[in-house]
Amino acid sequence: MAEIQLRNISKRWGAFVGVDNFDLTIADKEFLVLLGPSGCGKTTTMRMIAGLEDATEGDIIVDGERVNDKEPKDRDVAMVFQSYALYPNMNVYENIRFPLKVRGSDPATHHDRVMQAAERVELLDFLDRKPAALSGGQRQRVALARAIVRKPKVFLMDEPLSNLDAKLRVSTRAQIKNLSHDLAATTIYVTHDQIEAMTLADRVVVMKRGVVQQVGSPTEIYDTPANTFVASFIGSPAMNLMDGEVQGGTFRSQHTEIHGLTAPDGPVTLGFRAEDASLAAAVQGQINAPIYTLELLGDATMISVRINGALVSVKADKAFRAEIGDTVSISVPNEICHIFEATEDGKRIEG
Amino acid sequence: MSSRALRQPFALKFTSATFLAIWCIVAAFPIFWITVMSFKSPVDAFSSNPLNVVFGPSTRAGGNGLSILDILMGIVVIWITARLMTRTLPMMVAAYAPAGQKWIGWVIGSLVVAIGFLVTFFAILPAILDALNPVFGPLGRDIIGLTTEHYKTVWIDRGFSNNFKNSMIVTTGVVTVSLTVGTLAGYGLARSGSGLAFAILIIALVFRALPHSVLVAGYLPVFISSSEWLAPILGENAPTLYGKPFAVIAVLVAINQPFTIWMLRSFFQSIPAELDEAARVDGCNHFQAFRRVIMPVMWPGVITTGLFSFLLGYNDFLVTSLLLDAQNQTMVPAIAGMFSRETTTTDQVVAVAAAVSITAPLFFLVMVFQRQIVSGLTAGAVKG
Repeated sequence: MAEIQLRNISKRWGAFVGVDNFDLTIADKEFLVLLGPSGCGKTTTMRMIAGLEDATEGDIIVDGERVNDKEPKDRDVAMVFQSYALYPNMNVYENIRFPLKVRGSDPATHHDRVMQAAERVELLDFLDRKPAALSGGQRQRVALARAIVRKPKVFLMDEPLSNLDAKLRVSTRAQIKNLSHDLAATTIYVTHDQIEAMTLADRVVVMKRGVVQQVGSPTEIYDTPANTFVASFIGSPAMNLMDGEVQGGTFRSQHTEIHGLTAPDGPVTLGFRAEDASLAAAVQGQINAPIYTLELLGDATMISVRINGALVSVKADKAFRAEIGDTVSISVPNEICHIFEATEDGKRIEG
Repeated sequence: MSSRALRQPFALKFTSATFLAIWCIVAAFPIFWITVMSFKSPVDAFSSNPLNVVFGPSTRAGGNGLSILDILMGIVVIWITARLMTRTLPMMVAAYAPAGQKWIGWVIGSLVVAIGFLVTFFAILPAILDALNPVFGPLGRDIIGLTTEHYKTVWIDRGFSNNFKNSMIVTTGVVTVSLTVGTLAGYGLARSGSGLAFAILIIALVFRALPHSVLVAGYLPVFISSSEWLAPILGENAPTLYGKPFAVIAVLVAINQPFTIWMLRSFFQSIPAELDEAARVDGCNHFQAFRRVIMPVMWPGVITTGLFSFLLGYNDFLVTSLLLDAQNQTMVPAIAGMFSRETTTTDQVVAVAAAVSITAPLFFLVMVFQRQIVSGLTAGAVKG
């Protein structure tokens, strides 16, 4: 198996920067997720590792060997494409067998390996079908089987679930997690869905406009976001962020006053997670504002207020009922607060 | 089946059906008429009474005709052949041909059926009917005059088979070169993102827009003097290209190539680039990805483009008539020669028979390839 080192790789098309100075070591057998909104360079990074895109600068090192100038076929990677990219003229069996065939591995072993891969993804009933006669989920499983039939050093998955419907996404996600555990191969997984990232990853890389924002375990990323971009991207709902000013350890904003913070005086962005905060008895909480909207989620009720134009939500008991416009009091103790610089994508201020 | 929204009022249906019917008749009539003419004696063929042209009394008087029995038996044989081709043959191929080599089964099966049909239709059937016709009385009496003598004259006496052979050489050359260069160039241009690729395509379009005569005029002196300029390379035996099929192939390819490149490029563009990429990650180099993954889904495009190239070479008059000597003449200029000769009515009917003969390979091509010219071969490759 393989350790992948990405040393300061960049990708530029003319003046446009796709990926800027990406530097990371991916450990052997690690499940790494590249996460970010569309156009953030995550797929480009993966394609550079696959060899489908040339890196403008930097070195890609797999198992101590520089692979920048190698053809994709010589890098010993397997890739699952967002659009499946199955060979339409071959049936499922031939699709799965194709990598073995072109690489000239011993034909006697082909059948067993194809059957094994097909069994892993529960495709045994469809081996004679052409891709056109399969559903989206089945096609995606064929693509998975084609990737695992050979034992490659590295698995690359480019948003493999984004074309599936919500229910199938959950079951296929579980399948991928289980598969990667069994195969114990280094896996790089690209997604824009933070839930996929949280559930699958050993480590998450959050990217924006080609620049890495934060690298860390899902817990780290969730609990200590490095800046407001990560804070607003991770979690469902995303972290509440409000602009205000700190003076003498007290944060003040519209309807809001939070004491006991350790931050230098000046404008800051303060964030907290909806599930950390709670409702307080009248005027006891740190935020006292009229309800802007109230959403029933089933297991809880989400109450939102507006602070300086930004929506701030808090999770309340599912039995809580109120009218829009009623004043609520929200308890935001200082220990749940995250403080960021008051710039765009403001950095976290430790403390 | 038809939803309410798509249901049409009767008047509209009637009008469109009538229009289509008239259109078909107008379009098909000339072919039908010259086909009928070509089987009649000159007196019937040029008769002022259309019924005489169809039923051919003087052809019948000459002892050549078809009885009702002949026609019925002929239809039966054709129908059985059609059944064999569409029902029995596919089943036999599915049952007996080795998997992966179905096309061999198809080739062998089709050959067997074709030979069987020719033998039955042209040898066994006439012999049987000769014996049966006198027995059946009125049913056995000739009602339509029909003679194949003009075809014999054309193909055997006038050496049309030689023209046919030359046409095949020229068209095979044009199709082979056009498709080989066209697929490679089309694939390269479709997958290249560079600005140069676009410039090349525009230049190709400009060349396509040139009148054919310009190209012929440009090539003509080069071909006439080819023994001189080829001498340093090939020595004493350097050929004069003028008059040879090779010269025509070169010019026709020059005319045709821009078009095939454009057409194949658009077919390649409709194939998602992820397929190439998947193939390359799976272990192919560029060329293997092209050959093993892209070409198998490109057949409809290749066949369609090939058909167009074939038609260009097959129907070309200007280039072939200017560049070929008498002995390498293709069919189209040969027919033009037959028509323009100072002639008797017999010669005219012979020319008509030649004109009908030239359409036969086209029908054959369409019949063979209609199964292949199907869209949607890439269905299922990517998320639709």
